Amino acid sequence: MDATMQSTYRRAINAGLIAGVAMIYLASVGLVGAFAERPIIASIGGEGPGLITLGRVMLATPAFLIGLIVAGRIRGTGTGTGASAAAVAALSGAVAGLLFGVFLLLIAAVDVRGVFLPLTPALVETLAFGQEPIVGAIINVLLAGAVAALAALIRLLDGRDRAAVLAAIGIVLLVAMLEPIIRPILGRVELDAVRDFMFTGGGLTLPAAALLAGLVIAYTWSTRHPSSPVRRQLDAVSDERRRQLQIGAAIIGVLIVLAVPFVATGFVSLVLFNVGLYLMLALGLNIVVGYAGLLDLGYVAFFAVGAYAMGVLTSSASSMGGPMSALFGAEWGFWLALPVVLIIAAIVGLLIGAPVLRLRGDYLAIVTLGFGEIARVLVGSEALRPALGGPNGVVGVPNLTIPGFGELTSPGEYYYPVVAFAAFAAYMAWRLSNSRTGRAWMAMREDETVAQATGVNTTNYKLLAFALGGTLGGLAGALFAVQLRTVFPGSFLLIVSITVLAIIILGGMGTIRGVIAGALILVGLPEALREFGEYRFLVYGAALVAMMVLRPEGLFPSKTRRAELHEESDEDKQLGESFQDPDRAAPTATGANA
Amino acid sequence: MLRRPVRITLVGVLMWGLAIAVIVGVVAGSIATLSSGGISGTTWTRLIVAGLSQGAIYALIALGYTLVYGVLLMINFAHGEVFMFGAFAGLFVAQALLGVDAPFMEQPLIGLLIVFAAAMLTSMTVAIVLERVAYRPLRRAPRLVPLITAIGASLFLQYTAFGLFGPRTRRYPSVEFLEGRTTLFGLEFANVQLVTIGAAVVLMTLLYYVVEHTRTGRSMRAVSEDKDVAALMGINVDRTIVTTFAIGGLLAGAAGVLYAFLFLNVDFGMGILPGIKAFTAAVLGGIGNLAGAAIGGVVIGVMERVTPSLVLYGFGVPSPGQLSDVVAFSVLVLVLIFRPTGLFGRKENV
Repeated sequence: MDATMQSTYRRAINAGLIAGVAMIYLASVGLVGAFAERPIIASIGGEGPGLITLGRVMLATPAFLIGLIVAGRIRGTGTGTGASAAAVAALSGAVAGLLFGVFLLLIAAVDVRGVFLPLTPALVETLAFGQEPIVGAIINVLLAGAVAALAALIRLLDGRDRAAVLAAIGIVLLVAMLEPIIRPILGRVELDAVRDFMFTGGGLTLPAAALLAGLVIAYTWSTRHPSSPVRRQLDAVSDERRRQLQIGAAIIGVLIVLAVPFVATGFVSLVLFNVGLYLMLALGLNIVVGYAGLLDLGYVAFFAVGAYAMGVLTSSASSMGGPMSALFGAEWGFWLALPVVLIIAAIVGLLIGAPVLRLRGDYLAIVTLGFGEIARVLVGSEALRPALGGPNGVVGVPNLTIPGFGELTSPGEYYYPVVAFAAFAAYMAWRLSNSRTGRAWMAMREDETVAQATGVNTTNYKLLAFALGGTLGGLAGALFAVQLRTVFPGSFLLIVSITVLAIIILGGMGTIRGVIAGALILVGLPEALREFGEYRFLVYGAALVAMMVLRPEGLFPSKTRRAELHEESDEDKQLGESFQDPDRAAPTATGANA
Repeated sequence: MLRRPVRITLVGVLMWGLAIAVIVGVVAGSIATLSSGGISGTTWTRLIVAGLSQGAIYALIALGYTLVYGVLLMINFAHGEVFMFGAFAGLFVAQALLGVDAPFMEQPLIGLLIVFAAAMLTSMTVAIVLERVAYRPLRRAPRLVPLITAIGASLFLQYTAFGLFGPRTRRYPSVEFLEGRTTLFGLEFANVQLVTIGAAVVLMTLLYYVVEHTRTGRSMRAVSEDKDVAALMGINVDRTIVTTFAIGGLLAGAAGVLYAFLFLNVDFGMGILPGIKAFTAAVLGGIGNLAGAAIGGVVIGVMERVTPSLVLYGFGVPSPGQLSDVVAFSVLVLVLIFRPTGLFGRKENV
C-alpha cells in the first residue's frame, strides 16, 4: 500500500512536470501572447481584456488535462477516496505551476528576446497577472493546482454527469470563441437584447456563461439520464415518428445552411467558402487515402491543375503572349470550361496514378509528394511563363455567371456554388462508399494481395481512385480560380496537401461526416479566430501526431475502420504492455496458466 | 522450362514511354547545350564545385534518414526540421561568439567548433525527443501511421520554430576565414565549400568507425537486421533506436551549420527542401545503405546544379537554374518508380 501510494505520488509529480513543460512551450511559441487579448468571459467592470482570456484558457489546459488523467489513474487503481484524488491532482497541478513559475521568474530576470521573440516584458506582465514576478509565480502555482483539483473532481463524477459538465465547458468556450460570428448574426435577426446580454465588450458575460452552462447540463441530463421525464418521453416515441422527426431536423439543417448569407456577415460567408473548398478537397483525398488506402501527399497538384486549367481557359487577360495563348486564350465561360477542367484533372490523376501502381505505401506517398513539388515549382517558373504566367500567375478570370440568376460579383456570394458542389461531392462519395467500387477499394486498402486473389482488379480500381480524387481536387481548384479571379502560384504549396490530410485524419478516414467535422474544425475555427494566423499549422501538426498516437481512427470513425484498426493494434498493445509493465501483465499471465 | 510470354499492358507501355522520353530528353538536351557552347568551362567547374559542397550537406542529412530507416523501416519526415533546429542553435551561438566584437573573433576556429557542438547537441536533443514522444508509441502500428505522424511532427516543429524565433529570415555572421578562395586540384573552391566538404568527410569517417567497429554500431546493425532476435541476444532495442536517432541528429546539426554558412540564411521553413532532397539521396543510394546515402547525396548535389544548365539550356528554357528543384524531385520520382532499391540497395529492403 505504501509502495503504491509512493508510486502514485511519483507519477503525479512526473505528470505535473510534463504539464509544466507544456505550459512553458505554449508561452514560448507565443500562443499565450497571441490570445491574451481574446476574451472568453468578459470582465465584470468591462475593463481590461477580460476576466478569462483565451490565452489563459490555453495555459490552464495542461493542468486541467493532468488533473483528469491523475484522478482517472487513482480511480482506476481503486486506492484512495475522492478527496485524496483531488489532493494528488492538486499536487500535480502545483508542480506544473511551480515549473512554470520558475520559468516566469527566469524570463523576468533575463532578457532572452534576442533568441525567443515572444518572451517580451509585456508577456511577463500578462503571465504574472500584472503583479511582481514573484507574486505572479505564486499565483500561477495556486491557480494550476486549483485547476487540476477541479479537473480531478470532474473526473470523479459519475460518467453521465461528467459528460454533461465537460460538454458545458466545451460549449461555453466554443460560443465565446465564435463571438465574432455569433454577435453580428444576433444583431441581424433583431435579437439585440440577447446579444447585449451575452456579449458586452468582448467575450461572454458571466451570467450568460453560467446560463449557457446550465442549459447544456440540463439538456444533457434530461436527454441522457434514464430516470428523467424527457428521456422517458423520448423513448416512447415510435420508430415511424422518429424517422419523421429526423427528416424534419435534416430539412431545418439544410434551411439553416441556405440561410447563412442572409443572416451572417460577408466575413462568415467567406470563411464558409474556404471550409467548403477544403471540404471538397478533403472528400477527394478521402477517396484516394480513406477508401483506397493510397497515401497521396501531392494532392495539391490536382488543385493547381483545376485552378490553372480554369484560369487559362476563361481568362480574358491579354498579358499571356506566346505560343500557348493561341491554343488557350479562349475566354470560355465557366460552365463550358468546367467539364474540360474536370476531364483534364482526371487525366492528370491517371497519369500520376499509372507509374506509381506498383509502389508500396510509404514510397507511394513520397513519389506523390515529389509530383506535388514538381507541380509547385513548374507553375511558378519562368519556363512556363507563356502558358501559365510564371510568378505573376493568371489574371483576369471572369466572375461566375449562374444562368437565370446573374453574375456573382462579391466573393461572399460564392458560398452557394461551393455549398452545392460540396454537397454533390459528398453525395457522390457517399454513394461510392456503399457501392461495389467502394467495397473493392476497402478490400484493397486492407490487403492488396487478398483483394487481388478475390478478383478485384487492383490496377483499375487504383487508377479509378486517382482519377476520381483528381476530379474533385480539380473541381475545388476551378471554384478557387473563379472566386479569387486570379490564379497565383503561391497558393499551391505542400502545406495545402498536409492541411487536407489533417482534415481527413482528424475527422476519421473514410467517413463523410468525419470529413465535414474535420473541415469545420481545422479550417473554419482558425479562420474565425484571426489571432491564429500561422499558428494554425502548429495545431495541424500537433493534431496529426496526437491523432496517430492516441486515436488513429479519427474523432468520428466509421464502424469498419475502427474495427480494423483495433483488431490489429489491441493485440500489439497487450504484447507491448506485457513487456513494459510487469505489474499489469501479471494477472493476464496467471489467468492463462489457470 | 518455358518463359511466360510478356504481357503487354497499357500501363507497361506508358512506363516504357516515360523511360524512353526521359533518356531521349536528357541526351538531346545535353547534346544541344554542348554543341551550342553557350556555357563556358569555368562555369561548369563552378557548378560542379557548388554541387559537391551542397551534396556533402545532403549526404550528412541523408545518413540520418538511412540510419533511421535501417532500424525502424520508417521515413523520418521530420528529419529536415531536426536539421533546421541545428542551424538555429548554431546561429545564436555564432552571433554571440563570432559576430562583430565578439569573444572569438580572433580565434574563429575555436568559435566554430563551439558553434558546431551547440548545433549538433541541439539537433540531437530534438531528434531524441521526437523519437520518444511521437514515434515510440507507434513501434508496432501499421506502416503508414508513423509516416503520417512524421509529417505532423515536421509541421509541428516548423511552426514551433516559427513561434519561437519568428518568421524573419536571419543571417549568420560572416567569418573572415571562410570568405576566401583556394585552388585545389586545379579547381577553385570558396573556403566555406572546402570546409563543408572536409567536415562532411570527417563526420562520415567517424560514423563509419562507430557503425563498423564499436559495440554500439554492432547493436545498431543487429537491430536493423531483426529487432526481436536482437532483443533476445540481450540488446536493449529501445536504447539502440534512441542512439540511432541521436547519431542522425548529430549529423543533421552539423549539416545545419554548414548549410547556414554556405547560404548564410536561416528560417523556420529551411528544413523542407534539403530534407526532401536528402531523402532522395538516401533512396538513390539504396535506403538503409550508409555508403549509398553518402554517394547519393553528392550525386544529387551535383546533378541539381549541373542538370538544368546541361539539359534544359539546350532546349532554350529561360532561367533553367530556377528548375533545379524540379531536377531533384524528378530524380526522386524516377528512382522510386523505376528502381526503388536504389543504386546500391539490397533487394530485400523493399
